[in-house]
Amino acid sequence: MASVAEGGYIPAARRRRFSRRRAGQAAAPYVLLAPAAAVIGLVLAYPLYLLVKMSFEKYGLFELIRHKGRWIGTANYASILHDSTFWHVVLRTVLFTAVCVTLTMVLGTAIALLLLQLSTWVRVALTTGLVLVWAVPVIVAVNIWRWMVDYQFGVANWTLTKLHVGDFTRHDWFANPWAGFGVFTALIVWGAIPFVTITVYAALAQVPQELLEAAAIDGARPWAVFREVTVPLLKPIFVILTSLSIIWDFQVFQQIWVMLDSRPSSDYYTMAIYAFHQSFQISEYGLGAAIAVVMVVIMFGATLMYLRQMLRTGEVY
Amino acid sequence: MKVRYLAAALLAAMLAVAASTASGSTSRTHATKIVVWLQNDAQNGWPEMVAIANRTFKAQHPDVDVDVQYQSWGTHLTKFDAALAGGDAPDVIEMGNTEMTKYMAAGAFKALSQSAFPNNRTWLQGLKGSCQYNGKLYGVPYYAGARAVIYRTDQYKAAGIKGTPKSLSQWIADNKKLLKKYGSDKGYSAVYFPGKYWYFAMSVVYDYGGQIAVRKGGKWKGTLDQPKALAGLNQVKTLFSQSAASKTTDEANPQQALVFAKGKVGSFVGNGWEWPYALDTKVGNPALDGKMGAFPMPSHTKGKFMPTFLGGSDLGVPVTTKNQSLAVDWIKAFTSTAAEREVAKAGNIANTTTLLAFNASNPKLAPFARAAKYSWFVPTSPNWANVENANVLQNMLVKIATGRASVKAAAKSASSQITRILNTGA
Repeated sequence: MASVAEGGYIPAARRRRFSRRRAGQAAAPYVLLAPAAAVIGLVLAYPLYLLVKMSFEKYGLFELIRHKGRWIGTANYASILHDSTFWHVVLRTVLFTAVCVTLTMVLGTAIALLLLQLSTWVRVALTTGLVLVWAVPVIVAVNIWRWMVDYQFGVANWTLTKLHVGDFTRHDWFANPWAGFGVFTALIVWGAIPFVTITVYAALAQVPQELLEAAAIDGARPWAVFREVTVPLLKPIFVILTSLSIIWDFQVFQQIWVMLDSRPSSDYYTMAIYAFHQSFQISEYGLGAAIAVVMVVIMFGATLMYLRQMLRTGEVY
Repeated sequence: MKVRYLAAALLAAMLAVAASTASGSTSRTHATKIVVWLQNDAQNGWPEMVAIANRTFKAQHPDVDVDVQYQSWGTHLTKFDAALAGGDAPDVIEMGNTEMTKYMAAGAFKALSQSAFPNNRTWLQGLKGSCQYNGKLYGVPYYAGARAVIYRTDQYKAAGIKGTPKSLSQWIADNKKLLKKYGSDKGYSAVYFPGKYWYFAMSVVYDYGGQIAVRKGGKWKGTLDQPKALAGLNQVKTLFSQSAASKTTDEANPQQALVFAKGKVGSFVGNGWEWPYALDTKVGNPALDGKMGAFPMPSHTKGKFMPTFLGGSDLGVPVTTKNQSLAVDWIKAFTSTAAEREVAKAGNIANTTTLLAFNASNPKLAPFARAAKYSWFVPTSPNWANVENANVLQNMLVKIATGRASVKAAAKSASSQITRILNTGA
């Protein structure tokens, strides 16, 4: 505001030149942003536009070969919204995400708190282990887990039998979808904990020691200190981690796909798999696109909610 | 700062790659290469056939290279769809005979002239049928496979079984004898039968007079919930109980011949090529040589055989190709009598009846050639591939094998799904 007021005292000729320079300065951020915006537009917005367009088209194998879909309005959406399988899949995906995210956040935070209490070398060992887990590519991790829960030669069945938990010889972990999803939950939580733990641990180091001491002096028990002092301070971090976890877990695909030989039975369909199945296995690309759009909308809703909350917490501090 | 330079360099590299691929696709005037997609069965089982074809082709077209890219059954259609959409599909592609109709109906292949190909008058009728749509030829038969029971002769003898079973009930009784002898090991399968092995399961269904679907008045109807099919599925459930195989995997994961090679399997239903595969020096067990035999799956009617699924492969020329005549020349070389003999040698049935005598003369191939005389095939609807891809039959069998649903309930749900899928867009 002040600079505009100052502008009033500058002679017209100079002012023009000055404002031209100011215009240049004002444009500079946009010019600098332009390449990134162009790249995002190219790799994100355009495919998204194509996806939305395809979701309003009859787009099967016939259309695929001719590179041209036929506009059918909202018929694809009507068809999935009346499809009971679709609603089952949505419910399954939401539940699975909720369980995975909750477990990831609780266990991740618990391990981060544990790290604070440990002696240096144990902490270094534990952190190294976490980073190693983090460094394992998803496909490699899934294959390792697949061997572990193998029907015939899996170490999981062998160990459980040796420990007399029961007779797990030739136990099929995927015969019962609940047990199968148990394996997937374990796999995903295992893979997600390192990121949460290391981030929360870093954030915990930023909590002012005086506050904790003051609370302790006031007679607060450790749990109360954690709840009343630590959690509010770390809230922005928790919100970001939770929303990221939701985004990741909601679109789980490879873990289930690879573990079940690229042919998961319908009991194991999540939204991402269902969309892939409709598109690439049934060749109903329009329907698949509609499912993907619904998925994007749900995710956008979830992210928006958290973004709003994050901005609000931002204002408090 | 370094990060920014790196990012800029990456961006430049990306643009350069994009630019080069863009120019690469436009400057195609003279073909120097054709791309062929074959399934990896050829790579493992009969590489000599590919070598013969490439040599013959190279002699005709010295300046054209053949790039054979091996695919796997689970993912090749997804890749093919993506390639069709992107306009860089191969010049020749191997398709399963059950997959052909969907793609022919969608116009994915160029029409071919039958007289151009070797042995075209003696092609196996079943395979030729899978290459035709609306009276036109869109594919060339490559090879067929028939399944038979492959078994351990030594285990049968040790369990006191004389000869090979003449009926399904006798086979089941023999399996009980095997289980009595070896069943104390929970890992032993009298017959190895994984839960998703639908080619075998449907053979039993067809043996009882059941069918997957029938066409009436222009509409398809799933018929697995009909009494005859249910009788077959009940026997399938009995056979599942004599198997220690996983109830949720199929015959290729893990490869059943290799499970057999480990020794804890009395018999399994396999293709001709799975016999030599079980004896493979690298992945199999050569010590089983001389302890193996095969017989056609026995029918519930004494003295007859169960119909076997006539599986097979065809070769198509995708519409996107710019090298049709080169593609046709390669297919000609690949399906010549000399090349086809290689696929027969490996335990399959060549695409021409003139080579059937070759199979009959070899004791390791004869049972499969005999089995091939009685066969069944999937409903010939353009939507059939979608039933396969939706795993409808596999899901039904898993439910039956694990006992999560009764035979009747599982069959009913599968049947209505099949009705719905086959009639989509009809």
